[in-house]
Amino acid sequence: MTEATVRSEVGSPAPMTQAVQAARRRAKMRHTLRRASVYAVAIAIALWILVPIWLIFTMAFSTPQDVRSFPKPFYPSPFSTDTIEFFLNTEGVLRSTLNSFIVAIIALLLSTAIAMPAGYAIARFVFRGRDTIRLGILSVRAFPVVVLAVPLAVVFIRLGMFDQTYSLALMHTALTLPTTILVIASVFMGLPYEFEEAAQVFGCTRLQAFWRVVLPLAVPGIAAAAVLTFVLSWNEVFAAILLTITNRTLPAQILYNLDKSGDPYKFAGGFFMLVPSLIFIFFIRRYLFSMWGQLNK
Amino acid sequence: MKKTKLLPYLLLLPSMIYLLLFFAYPMLESFQLAFRREGQFLNLRVEPQDEAAVVGTLALQTDVTVLERQRLEETLPNGRTRPFYWFRVEGLDTAGTTIEGWASQANLFIESRTESTTARVVGGESAREWTLDYVNRMLNDYRFGSALGTTILLVVLILPLQFILAIIMALVLQAQIRGSSLFLYIFAIPLGISDLASGIIWYSIFTQRGFLNSFLVGTGVLESPYIFIRVGNESWMIAAIVLAEVWRATSIVMVIVVSGLQALPRDYIEAGQVFGANLWQRLRYIILPLLKPSLQVALILRTILALQVFAVVVAIAGRDVLSVLAYETYRWYDPQRFNSPNMAAVYAGFIMLLSLGVSLFYLRAVRSEEEAAKLL
Amino acid sequence: MAEIIVEHAVKKFGKFVAIDDVSLTVDDKEFVVLLGPSGCGKTTLLRAIAGLGMVNEGRVLIGGRDVTYLQPKERNVSMVFQNYAIFPHMTVFDNIAFGLKMRKTPRDVLQERVETAARLLHIEDMLDRRPGTMSGGQRQRIAVARAIAYDAQALLMDEPLSNLDALLRLEMRAELKALLGRLGATTIYVTHDQIEALSMGDRIAVMRKGQIVQVDTPTRVYDLPVDHFVGSFIGNPPMNFMRASVQKHDGALQARVGDLYITPPDYMLAALRPYEGKDIYIGIRAENTEVLSQPGAGALPVTVEVVEPLGAMNLLTILIEDNVLKVSTHPDFPVVAGGQVWLLFPEAKIRWMDRDTGRAITPELEQVVA
Repeated sequence: MTEATVRSEVGSPAPMTQAVQAARRRAKMRHTLRRASVYAVAIAIALWILVPIWLIFTMAFSTPQDVRSFPKPFYPSPFSTDTIEFFLNTEGVLRSTLNSFIVAIIALLLSTAIAMPAGYAIARFVFRGRDTIRLGILSVRAFPVVVLAVPLAVVFIRLGMFDQTYSLALMHTALTLPTTILVIASVFMGLPYEFEEAAQVFGCTRLQAFWRVVLPLAVPGIAAAAVLTFVLSWNEVFAAILLTITNRTLPAQILYNLDKSGDPYKFAGGFFMLVPSLIFIFFIRRYLFSMWGQLNK
Repeated sequence: MKKTKLLPYLLLLPSMIYLLLFFAYPMLESFQLAFRREGQFLNLRVEPQDEAAVVGTLALQTDVTVLERQRLEETLPNGRTRPFYWFRVEGLDTAGTTIEGWASQANLFIESRTESTTARVVGGESAREWTLDYVNRMLNDYRFGSALGTTILLVVLILPLQFILAIIMALVLQAQIRGSSLFLYIFAIPLGISDLASGIIWYSIFTQRGFLNSFLVGTGVLESPYIFIRVGNESWMIAAIVLAEVWRATSIVMVIVVSGLQALPRDYIEAGQVFGANLWQRLRYIILPLLKPSLQVALILRTILALQVFAVVVAIAGRDVLSVLAYETYRWYDPQRFNSPNMAAVYAGFIMLLSLGVSLFYLRAVRSEEEAAKLL
Repeated sequence: MAEIIVEHAVKKFGKFVAIDDVSLTVDDKEFVVLLGPSGCGKTTLLRAIAGLGMVNEGRVLIGGRDVTYLQPKERNVSMVFQNYAIFPHMTVFDNIAFGLKMRKTPRDVLQERVETAARLLHIEDMLDRRPGTMSGGQRQRIAVARAIAYDAQALLMDEPLSNLDALLRLEMRAELKALLGRLGATTIYVTHDQIEALSMGDRIAVMRKGQIVQVDTPTRVYDLPVDHFVGSFIGNPPMNFMRASVQKHDGALQARVGDLYITPPDYMLAALRPYEGKDIYIGIRAENTEVLSQPGAGALPVTVEVVEPLGAMNLLTILIEDNVLKVSTHPDFPVVAGGQVWLLFPEAKIRWMDRDTGRAITPELEQVVA
């Protein structure tokens, strides 16, 4: 007990009457209700997002008979991998999955490699035209895919690069490059320049300082940007279906076959496309806000 | 010293080259596709020589009057010579003006080189001409109006829902309830979901034998399945597409709004609380005005993406049922269908113009509002 | 205006207890300063009173009304934020009028209140400007004007001067004190700056690790700290503490520091008796130590380690056994580092402290007065 408490008890108001207690209970109740309503909204939104995913999961892991049945089951019963196996064994699916991976990996490596020096330059140097370049990159970030895909297809045909996984990867790199540059720039901006200066004072060259001090610290952020590139390329369908015919990526393959195939193929395909993204988003979720926070500036 | 000045440009060079190669060059190409057409034209020359200056051009099949002829000798590979004629001709060019100049016999059909006074243009150099044919064809296409209408309808329905939901999601996350990191992950999941997958998922709900009918029939609301998705039932198809897009693409708006909110000093909102503003008033007078820059970015981004809506539509409505601009682009391009990159480029260019117009409009609208506020 | 009562408030963030069973009464029209080092819970306590974070246990009463579970807007309190929280998208007028507008105050009343508040803070000329480019001092004035225009039952201030530069802070301190004195507002003022606390408060509540250690008038907090912590936190330099052993000497109870015997005043004898044969701390302020340049009766000869001229005084650092002492002298006092001086410790100015608990050893009388 401190002196303060001793004092306050002396000056304490009249003991709580029943009315006061009732008012207090009501106030407490309202407070609890407010918290509860926030939870209710949060849970409702979570369900709005999760239920459709659950439904497509149910379809992917039900038997093909159940997939075609009506009314449909709301959970896999019996649990079966027949539908997903049927999908994976369908002509062209594994090949297009492989293509999707190749395209996404090339795009990821290429866009990170090209964007890293550019991001570093924007983050660390003051030079003539810096703002113009930044603004230019910012404005092509929202460039419609549809606009680029058609002429690129024509150019690729002319150059004999049409229907190749690498040319689609080049296109996807172009689509993600602006965002990647800005994200990587924001990662570098988040690292104090003093780190590099300190390293240089203690005997590193500029390149060594970058390599030994800055890069290790920037790796998580850069990795997050790379994952974002992967997800974008994995999901992209418009350019994919325009630029490839025999070397389709998974979304292009599924889209092309939509009209020709039954529900088991569609639903298993829908679920199958979902999985890698779910995993990747889980890993980069911490970086999402810092990435976008910087981008808006 | 000089080296350090060059360094940032060197570092930026690969990116700039890449972006020019993949943005600027395709844009030029697209422009060519949309507005230029391959054609053959006959160039009329000042003198009867191939290298002589060009007076004007005549289109193929133009009838011309022969005014004058000149006989020249042509040496053949075997060393012999033969006569070769040039004609001074007069005819109407594409613009409808009468022009005259020299043309060689190689490009004219003429009955008698020595006698005839009329001839017809049958050859010439191949050249590109400017044309609005493709644009006119798009504007007159019976599907164009409905494609544009549906696209705009989708944008108008999707965006407000998305922004309201995104702001609610952001506020829930900012309320710092227990488990908010779990909610954050769940709310962010759709970021990684493709439009095609989202379309398929909502197709599984809305299709005739889908989950919605299973539920409605299972609970006895309906006696037999209602066919939501069919030709002639556009409003249900559009509803399904709107739901799929709101479900999938609200997360990105939420992320932008949350990062905007995080950048706002908490003090602002707390000051609102202390000085008696309720939740709606805080939103209306404090949070939304301060979030304007973030909202503007999100609005531009989402509108441009919504103008390109494609895979969701195909997945839910099927091919050729419901027409949107991006689908038209694909339809015209498709080598197995119309195989017309030119028409595809016109449609793509139209989407580009719309995107640009909308962006400028948003930027303008926000600025002018601020200026108006300053005047008050 | 009304009194504010906090009873047995507890606030936890996860496992961390930010406020640990705190009780405090602020009388109507009183100005109480919450003072403590960073992380002591003073801002948390202020926010709990404002309703910006509910307490986990205990209750908060404002004007006799239990507001423990009410929203900030229902509590009728006003606040000045550390970073001012002046809305950048509103004019100065709209900022000051914000709370009144939320309350749907009639236009003419609102106009008058805003203008009065603006006049009091000397910002009536900038009412239609936006705060975007304004200096910290101007924003500060707007924040205070908004707080007083709102006419709430209590005024809460969260380190309002901490973001101003030193000179402006000094100026605002005096102005704010005069203004609040005139308004007679019940005010709780959070600061970590002890000078601010001493100069402004009717009373100071010193906090440490989530608890209120002492609530008293500035002079009593300064002169009669309840424990070692308060003594060393308040005052610049802090109170000196020397280890002393209590023993019988010449037939009387005395405290020995080095070779010096200090005789406690009579009213302390009873309280000190249990400490016979034990070590205690004796605390004394730098300015209360008498420094002589020549030997005097009962004065302790010491060597000066460091002399720091501070303008208004010289501060000497002196070692007595392993105790470091700071004493102040008039700037003209002749002394150099390494030189010898003689110290006198006036018994009446000494604060006696238990060495184990750090708490002041006080006669019964003082406990009653407190």
